[in-house]
Order: sequence, then C-alpha cells, then structure tokens
Amino acid sequence: MNNISSFAYCFHQGIKNIGRNKLFSIASVATMTACLFLFGVMYFLLVNVRFMLLEAETNVGITAFFDEGVTQEQINELKTKIESYDEVKSVTYKSAEDTWEEYKESHLTEELASTFGDDNPLEDSASFTIFFKSVDSQQEMAQKIAELKGIRKVNDTEDLVKTLTRMNHILSIGSIAIIGLLLCIATFLISTTVTMGVSVRRKEISIMHLIGATDIFVRAPFLVEGVVIGLLGACIPLSILYALYYKIIELIASKFSSLFNTLNFVKTSQVFGVLAPVSICIGVGIGFLGSYFTLNKQLRKIRQM
Amino acid sequence: MKKEKEYLQDEFYDDEDMMDEADYPDEEADDYSMQTPVIVMEHVSKEYEGATDSQALNDVSFRVRKGEFVFIVGPSGSGKSTMIRLMMKEVSPTEGRIYVAGKDLAGLKKRQVCKYRRNIGIVFQDFRLLQERNVYENVAFAQQVIGASARRIPKEVSKVLNLVGLSNKFRSKPTELSGGEQQRVALARALVNNPMILLADEPTGNLDPQNSWEIMELLEEINKRGTTVVVVTHNQEIVNKMQKRVISVHNGVIVEDKRGGYTHE
Repeated sequence: MNNISSFAYCFHQGIKNIGRNKLFSIASVATMTACLFLFGVMYFLLVNVRFMLLEAETNVGITAFFDEGVTQEQINELKTKIESYDEVKSVTYKSAEDTWEEYKESHLTEELASTFGDDNPLEDSASFTIFFKSVDSQQEMAQKIAELKGIRKVNDTEDLVKTLTRMNHILSIGSIAIIGLLLCIATFLISTTVTMGVSVRRKEISIMHLIGATDIFVRAPFLVEGVVIGLLGACIPLSILYALYYKIIELIASKFSSLFNTLNFVKTSQVFGVLAPVSICIGVGIGFLGSYFTLNKQLRKIRQM
Repeated sequence: MKKEKEYLQDEFYDDEDMMDEADYPDEEADDYSMQTPVIVMEHVSKEYEGATDSQALNDVSFRVRKGEFVFIVGPSGSGKSTMIRLMMKEVSPTEGRIYVAGKDLAGLKKRQVCKYRRNIGIVFQDFRLLQERNVYENVAFAQQVIGASARRIPKEVSKVLNLVGLSNKFRSKPTELSGGEQQRVALARALVNNPMILLADEPTGNLDPQNSWEIMELLEEINKRGTTVVVVTHNQEIVNKMQKRVISVHNGVIVEDKRGGYTHE
C-alpha cells in the first residue's frame, strides 16, 4: 500500500465493513462504551477519593488537650513551642467555653442546654488543633506533643487516614478487576466483529490474494474497522462523562460525606486532561490489537482453503 | 499498454533468482523453440497431505513460450487445476521446479508472491465476481488492489471493458448479466493490470456453446495482443476447433503434448 488512493480505499472499505456488520459493530461499540464509561467513573472515584484523602491529610489535624489546672500563660507558652516545630503548619486554640458552645449548638436543644445554666460540663476540654505540613510526620509529632509538660491527651487522625488509604486500595484493585474483565469482553466482541467481517468478505479476500494484493492492503480495512469501533467506544463515554461529571461526583460524594465536613473535587479540565487521552488510547489500542490478532488467525484459515 | 506491461515485467524481473537462458531444461528444437519460455515446469510432482488420492501430479515437465496459447486438457481429477494452482503459487510442488518468466517460484518469499501474481491474470469457471459491486467496480477492484492511482483506474477500466465488449454495461450488477457476460467481466478484471500470462480454469464450464465460443474468441484476441494464455478445459469441441497446442493430462501425468485437437481419451 503505497499511495493516497490505496489509503483512501482501505479507509472507505473499513467504514463500509462497520455498516455491513451493523449488529456486531453496535454491540462492540456499546461494550467498549460501557467499559470505558465504567473506567471513567472508577477514575473519577479514584481521583477524587485520593484528592479528598490528600485534603484530609493536610486539613484534618490532631487535637491536644491540657492537664487540669493549666494556666492561660502556660497554654500560650505551649502554643509558641508547638508552633516552633518545622513540621507544624498551624496551631489553633479552642477554649473550654467555645467547645461547650459549639457542642450545645450542634447536639443540644435550647431547652436542654438551658438546664445546664452557667455550668460547663466540658471545662477540661480546652484544646489545640494542630495541622501539619505533611501527614507523614503526624504520628511522630503527635507522640512528641503528647510528651510535652501540660499536655494531657492527644487525639490523632491516624485511624481516619488509615481507613481512607485502605478504601483507596480496595477501590484501585476492584476497579482494575472490573475494567480488566470489561476490556476482555470488549476485545472478544471486536474480535467477533472482525471474524464476521472476514467471513462475509471471504470471497473478496481470496480474490484480492489471487490478483496480487499485499498483506497490508488486505488487512487495512479490518484494522480501520477495529480502530474506528475503539475510537467511537472511547468518544461516546467521554462525552457522556463530561456532561455528567458533577452529577456523578455528587453521587460519589454522598456516599462518603460522613467522612468529610467539606467536599472539594478535582477540576473537570484536570480530570479529562488525563482521562480523555487514556480512554482514547485504550479504545484505539484494543480495537487495533483485537483486529490484528483475529486477522492473523482468519487470514491463515483463508489461505489454507 | 505495451509500456505498462514492460514496467510490470521489469518490476517482476527485479530479483536475483532469475533463470539464465542456459539453465532452461533441454528440449528438442521446433519451430517456436527460439522464443523465450515464460512457464517452465521441471519434473513437478504434487502430493496433497491427507487426501485419499493424494498424488495430484507425477513428474510433470513442460514449457510454455512467450505469446503461446496452450490448452491443458484431461478428465476431472487429472491434475489440471493443480497445475494452475502451482503456477499461481497457491500451492508448492512436492518435487520439481517451476519457473515463471525466468523466476524460480520456490525462491519467492511470501511478500514477493503478491508482486508475482500481478503479472498473472486468472479467470475461473464460477467467475468469482463480487455480487454487490457493479461491472466497473469489479474491474476497478483489481486496479485498487495493486494501488493504481485514482486517475489511472477509469482509463484502464474503460479500455479493458471496451476490449471485452461490455463498455455499455459498466453499471450493471453481476446478477443482471448472462453467464457469458459475467465471464467477460472476470476476463476484464484479469486483464486490467496488463498481465503477461492469463490463466483460465475451465472458463467455459458454466456457459452455453455460443457464449463458450465467444469467450474463446476473446481469449484468442487477447493472445494475439501478446499475452500468453493457458486454458484448462475439458471442452473437447472447443479444443478441436481452436487447433492450438494441447497438453493432455491423465492421473497426474502428461500423456500427450501436441499441436492440434483433443485426441487422448
């Protein structure tokens, strides 16, 4: 195949092949669409969970409570000391009164709160909320702060981070398994479509061989067919995902809202900057390879006839 | 047309496995022995694996000169079609050598086979036309396959359709044509790439006597224009009428090779 007219002919024949095997072509595009749609959803999920995890790592700090009878002066000294650590991003002081007010607002009715009068049942709850520059240093720093004189107890978020990390890990493995299975189905369907195409054009192919068609000339229309199916199977879910991104994200977020107070998502452009080329590469790659290997088998059969 | 044929042959002759004139098998001198042989079969045997009567050809030797018209005749299963398949390099001989246009076919690599076949036109008993394409598209297909330019295709197709007398039916689908016309389309497709050899495997097998004779006249005309023609047939009447060289094959062996009619039963 050495000129533009051959290329145009093969391309045209490839498109015609899709039309000839409408049913199988539609099934292949649909499976590829389903597969890459799920891939996209999984990707959204992973990217956003990771993003939230990062947010959690940097925005969820540890809480340090003071020993009984610690004076305000000692608290100020402790604040200065903790702030002097390189790993510390910020230290926020919350008095026992503020803690009680916050608790009343979020957990008690006005009537019930009034029964306490001026009493503060959380009088030992004055605390520091300490944020770190990196979550890696959280555990070590929590231990160091707990050992400081005047600090009674430190609550860190290690468990939350561990839970999120585990969830992220399960999601990754689960998505890879599901996507792998779907890709196998898509490859099988593309292979079946090409097999059908070859059997419909068996006579044409044998004539092509007899009148001197090169191997690539015989193969090219089927490779075009596979690539176009793969491309369609990638572009359709990408368009749907683009339109539905925030709806899907909101749905995902609602499942994990209990873990976070505020939810921030990765920007559309950031997500599609990776998802679009990856999906197109997967679609086109599977279309091409599925056709290529099926053709090897089918053309060998025709030659042996 | 002549220039084109020279080009195709040059491309084909381009490789190293060429046969020198001195390498050709000895043959008794006759009135056409000075011409270049385009097909040479040297002690060719062909055995098909797994077949009941597996020996299709047994020690067959003959040569066909450039511009010759040769009939290969014999009963069904005698090995005639195997000869065509061997010449097309569809199958390889179990023993012996085949040279076409001086080229040892055993030396052809897989990727060279397609170029080799562009020098050979072939027609079959069952025409092998693409039913969903019209006459023009069926013939143009052969040009598209070899990568002819979009500008060249209409010129070559109309020229060859004119030769076979179908220029007024270029839009017809094969199903709208008679058997004779379908075979003319097949002939046009075989000729459009200007082959130096035309192989016809039972070209009149599905045709009535009138159409059979018209096809044979056409083949003779093509031969007169310089194309070597090899026709496999069992149509005794036509062979006798044409008075060409006849190679008779029986049970995979050449039993007679002479000019004239079909005498061996």
